[in-house]
Amino acid sequence: MAEAVVRCLRDGRLDGEHAPALAVEGSLQCCPLAAGAMLHIAAAFASQVAAGKAQARGLVVVAFDRSPLVYLEFMRRRSLDTNALDRCVRILDCYSDPLGWKQKIQNQQHQGNSAKQFSTNKENITVYRSVKDVTKLMSSVTELGGGFEEGKKYFSVAVDSISSMLRHASVPSISGLLTNLRSHEQVSSIFWMIHSDLHEPKVPRAFECLSTMVACVEPALVDPVCGESPGNLSVLEQNYSKAKFIVRLKRRNGRVKHLYEDLYIEGNDIKFDSAPSVSIEVNQSLVPKAQFNLELSEKERSDRANVVLPFEHQGNGEPIRIYDGRRSLPEAQRDLSLTAPALVDEIKAPKSGTAKGEIHYFRDSDDEQPDSDEDPDDDLDI
Amino acid sequence: MAAAGGRTLGRSSFSRATSNPVASSSGASGVKIGPNGAAFVSSGIPDLDRILGGGFLLGSVVMIMEDADVPHHLLLLRCFMSQGVVHKQPLLFSGAMKEPRLFLGTLPAPVSSSKEDGRYRAMGAAASSDGQANDEGLRIAWQYKKYFGDDSRAEHKDNKQEFSNDFDLRKPLERHLLNGQNIECVSIQDADTLSGLQDCCTSFLSKLPRKDGGSLTAGRIAIQSLCAPQCRYFEKDWDMVSFIRSLKAMVRSSNSVAVITFPSTVLSNSFCKRWQHLADTLLSIKAIPDEDKDLAKLLTGYQDMVGFLRVHKVAQTNSQVPVILEASTLSLKLRKRRSLVLERLNQAPVDGSSGPSSAASSSCSSQGSQLDF
Repeated sequence: MAEAVVRCLRDGRLDGEHAPALAVEGSLQCCPLAAGAMLHIAAAFASQVAAGKAQARGLVVVAFDRSPLVYLEFMRRRSLDTNALDRCVRILDCYSDPLGWKQKIQNQQHQGNSAKQFSTNKENITVYRSVKDVTKLMSSVTELGGGFEEGKKYFSVAVDSISSMLRHASVPSISGLLTNLRSHEQVSSIFWMIHSDLHEPKVPRAFECLSTMVACVEPALVDPVCGESPGNLSVLEQNYSKAKFIVRLKRRNGRVKHLYEDLYIEGNDIKFDSAPSVSIEVNQSLVPKAQFNLELSEKERSDRANVVLPFEHQGNGEPIRIYDGRRSLPEAQRDLSLTAPALVDEIKAPKSGTAKGEIHYFRDSDDEQPDSDEDPDDDLDI
Repeated sequence: MAAAGGRTLGRSSFSRATSNPVASSSGASGVKIGPNGAAFVSSGIPDLDRILGGGFLLGSVVMIMEDADVPHHLLLLRCFMSQGVVHKQPLLFSGAMKEPRLFLGTLPAPVSSSKEDGRYRAMGAAASSDGQANDEGLRIAWQYKKYFGDDSRAEHKDNKQEFSNDFDLRKPLERHLLNGQNIECVSIQDADTLSGLQDCCTSFLSKLPRKDGGSLTAGRIAIQSLCAPQCRYFEKDWDMVSFIRSLKAMVRSSNSVAVITFPSTVLSNSFCKRWQHLADTLLSIKAIPDEDKDLAKLLTGYQDMVGFLRVHKVAQTNSQVPVILEASTLSLKLRKRRSLVLERLNQAPVDGSSGPSSAASSSCSSQGSQLDF
């Protein structure tokens, strides 16, 4: 469930390690669902923080794609009251006026007046006007984060979305920002959203490198003939109402855990469901070419020596018992005549009497390893 | 090989008569002489040395493709650097981090040779020395003798132990070894271009020229995450390629080995291919999924594996004979959670009732129907 992801974020960082980071990747085909997933994770995390269960004391949301009111509204619907919101959530508003144009226009219009900042009356929303300056963004985020509680307390950061940030800043500067945030001593966890098909393939992969968890929101149905049948709205409809939520968790033991879920919209809310069908094609590509282990352990060697082979003289003075696989041993002896005289290597004098239908078998030498490259012609003295 | 003791059969008129008197002294400086005038330094992982045919070739560039999901390239890099420190070889380390010196604190210490490890090595050496004794009895055609390396000989066991150490990944390397040592650290995170790093490498390598039969001081260069996204030169693809090319040229004419790790997924496909082509030895790390029942059924020892290591290319500069590996994918395991071992992948025994047997019978029947004369 998305629970696992929220739990990881909630638990935060261990001493001496960087903060855990979640990358939510969406695509254009399931764009609203990816946005919904981001809102859900932010809201779930905020409620954990408000309940005091998280390592962080607050959440700083860097909002590029949506107005801050959308976040607050969504969290309110998830039963977070205003007090808790004021206490635990701060939003850095990079949506209303990212490049500072509105303020410039306002300043020009009201040249004589004391130009007040066009700030809202909400306490927990701060407008940020210079998105091209990543260093200043970093300091604003840490400033907001430090303002949650007195003393050195942890806070978490959510960036929504990196794709919008990439319009203004370069990949190295944003990666540097995320790395600095992750290694910042007060940051408990960080999560961001990126739309993978809006960029070159190496860009979302670069951000995946920086993360410890990757959650991909993929369309539920992939349209095989994209765009060729524009009248086919059912696929689009399906893709707008549900999607697959695939999570890759990088664990401390050095392995990667895959989780699969379905995500769908119900009314105004996002819901997660455990997936009925697990995609196995992921694993097929990972299976490398494996060889058979042809060595025998000691136990296996002694077991092999003890195996009673059919058609063989056990050498303990008793009459030959030939087991042909169908009947029990004593009866088979009487049915010797019925067995086919097929496998005859060399004649060995039998102990029991019957003249026809005898099978004589020489066991191969035990010393010879199977598939050894001895040339049988080596014995010839020419 | 002329060094093959009392076996006169191995003396081929085509092999270079290399005298091997430096075998005992080379162990001390951590350089091993191999066939065809090649010199090796240990990678810090004895299994990897064996698989690559002796170790990392001096004068080569080793590139390790990282997997974005797992940090196992750091294990390989740490073992490589620790081996250099243990052998007192000069080391240049560069990483995409603010304080590369802090990374030195994570280097592992060599495993103190306990009785158990000694027994393990003795078993390995004894098995192969038995094999050698049997060879005396078998009549092997003379020209094949020279391909028998002398790594498996029991009398070189002591030298081999010195050449390549097992490292205990849970124990950090002692401080005094790091302090009295020629270790340089360069940070490439805040650099706009790679020219700073290139200058450092040039000055480092100028102290280690290669001379025939000269001093065997070998140097090591370790670069971590060369094209990490947070480096400022990240978008300058051609600059990075030309840096690697000039480093390769400098390393080739000096007595050193360079190990570079890079996250291959953050490069575009064409540049990734260029980087792979520039490598003399190319390894890659692959992540292993956790709690995967299919893989657990397919492979033995799945529980202990931490990842896969693939060997794509092995350096071969002095000879036309390619290195043919038994297996190109190996599993990385932590033996007793502390030292790194590489093993071949072995298929787990298959249930008689499950898939493969029915597949075999169905293929037989289909072939039977085709044989319709």
